Amino acid sequence: MITATGLTKRYGDTAAVDGLTFEVKPGIVTGFLGPNGAGKTTSMRLILGLDSPTAGTVTVNGQPYRDKRAPMREIGALIDPSAVHGGRSAYDHLLWQAQAGGLPRHRVDDVLEMVGLTDVAGKKVGGFSLGMHQRLGIASALLGDPPVLLFDEPVNGLDPEGIQWVRTLMRQFADEGRTVFISSHMMSEMEQTADHVLVIGRGKLVADMPMAEFTQRSAHSHVRIVSLRAHDLVTHLKARGAAVTNGTSNELMVTGLDTATVGAIAFEQGILLTELSSQRASLEDAFMEMTRDSVEYRAGSGRSRDGTDHQLPPRELAAERIH
Amino acid sequence: MTASTVPAHGIATGKHPGFDTTLVSEWTKLRSVRSTWILTGLAVVLSIGFSAAIALVMGLTSEPFDTWSEADRVMSDPVTSSMPGLLFSLILLIVLGVTAVSSEYSSSTIRTTFIVNPHRIRVWSAKAIIVGLLGIAVHAIAVPGMFLTSQAIYGAYGLKTASVTDSEATRFLLVVALVVPLTYTLIPLSFAYLLRGTAVAITAAIGFLFLTSNLAPLLPAWIQQHALRYLPDVATNSLSGLTPPGDVTYLSPLPASIVVVTWLVGSLAAAAFVLNRRDV
Repeated sequence: MITATGLTKRYGDTAAVDGLTFEVKPGIVTGFLGPNGAGKTTSMRLILGLDSPTAGTVTVNGQPYRDKRAPMREIGALIDPSAVHGGRSAYDHLLWQAQAGGLPRHRVDDVLEMVGLTDVAGKKVGGFSLGMHQRLGIASALLGDPPVLLFDEPVNGLDPEGIQWVRTLMRQFADEGRTVFISSHMMSEMEQTADHVLVIGRGKLVADMPMAEFTQRSAHSHVRIVSLRAHDLVTHLKARGAAVTNGTSNELMVTGLDTATVGAIAFEQGILLTELSSQRASLEDAFMEMTRDSVEYRAGSGRSRDGTDHQLPPRELAAERIH
Repeated sequence: MTASTVPAHGIATGKHPGFDTTLVSEWTKLRSVRSTWILTGLAVVLSIGFSAAIALVMGLTSEPFDTWSEADRVMSDPVTSSMPGLLFSLILLIVLGVTAVSSEYSSSTIRTTFIVNPHRIRVWSAKAIIVGLLGIAVHAIAVPGMFLTSQAIYGAYGLKTASVTDSEATRFLLVVALVVPLTYTLIPLSFAYLLRGTAVAITAAIGFLFLTSNLAPLLPAWIQQHALRYLPDVATNSLSGLTPPGDVTYLSPLPASIVVVTWLVGSLAAAAFVLNRRDV
């Protein structure tokens, strides 16, 4: 169980994490979502006692991390898989960690086996691929067989096979009854892995709910129509209470009416529709919608003259790693 | 899901993590990278090799000792003249002390270190002990090595030689083998914690432990007397007997010891203070 209360971290005038209050519940996978620079990594570092909060507290199983006597048996963390000394062998990289935690040497062999790195145990880590680094990082987290696992962007930079592997592993950990806390900026990834979501934007908590509820609430569907006379339909649709957004020249996005009603209105007006379909907003859209106001920097201006939103993806942020 | 349905995890066996496990872990870190063995190996080989080469040049270019003038005989000191190789061992010890810490910052393993062991002071002290002992081990080989090799060469060319059992020689060798490596590993190690970068910490440590004292003769006597003799390397020279009583930078053994210990403890304490408070 991870408990944050009013957790705040400021760097000068910028609040990387701003008054976060949340609980990561035991035995489930909790996704920690937010665009780059939202404060996910900073939060992870605060949880692990690497950084000190400007205000507020965060505890793991009721105790601040830096007060723990044997943290490896309580919590395993992967925050940066590239944080390895390239000249050290995979075995020695895990050995010094196991020794620091007072863990028996056979745990090194166990976790190497678990992540499939036994064959390269004696090889220098510097020559490892991105996926092997990720496996090694997960092996580190598992050394103490901890009931709580914390992963920062575990699928970042992995190939599809690697992503699949991590996804299965996270589910497996949760099925074993472990508490799993994963951060990601990829919504779609979380949809398949997490039971519960915490969404942050610009350091603030914007959602804290079960995944199912998050999906349902955010999936407000709309109707997409294509017609040569699309423009003539707008007033009629609006008269029936719909909100209409222009897509391309012949395309309209209609919210507030179902496909049958939209089709009926077009029929009444004698307007030929070349396409009529129900669209379900993706989780990605919901996430962007939710964090729109909290994204620190956005490419281009957010709003065009006709009032429709041109939602552009947030730019990669340096803010995540301000020191 | 209630707490009772959550299966227990965690390794039941093993040791309770403590200072002993941290020492073992820090030793594994140091011994498992090749650079440690390159640095220590080079320190031994280069220092003895260079001293031997200088001794050979002295032997080949000097007149036999019994033809020397009385003044030259008094001036010649086979103990200190056998140590030119220190130039190499000391610089390599500085690099060892700095990189033992700075490589963790450059590779970000410092974060892993404090995730697996959040007791920063425990990590800091264990690392200082391991690095300090390794430094002593290097000089425990290099210093007698330089001395004995040089004396053998001096003897072969009929020059004045010294024996380990001469009281002056014993004192000098003990200080250079046991005290000097602590200064030249632990002050750089502290600089690395304070500055975090390899290049900047090595530069600062070489500047502090080499240049300042080498510039000493160029400075006015009152600066030498009131400032320079309180530098750790200058005070160590008083302690080892390299600086004779009566020299402007001379300190008697007790104050010299206090100066050296104060620098060591002070720099380590500054590093611990900053390490414990700063975000990593």
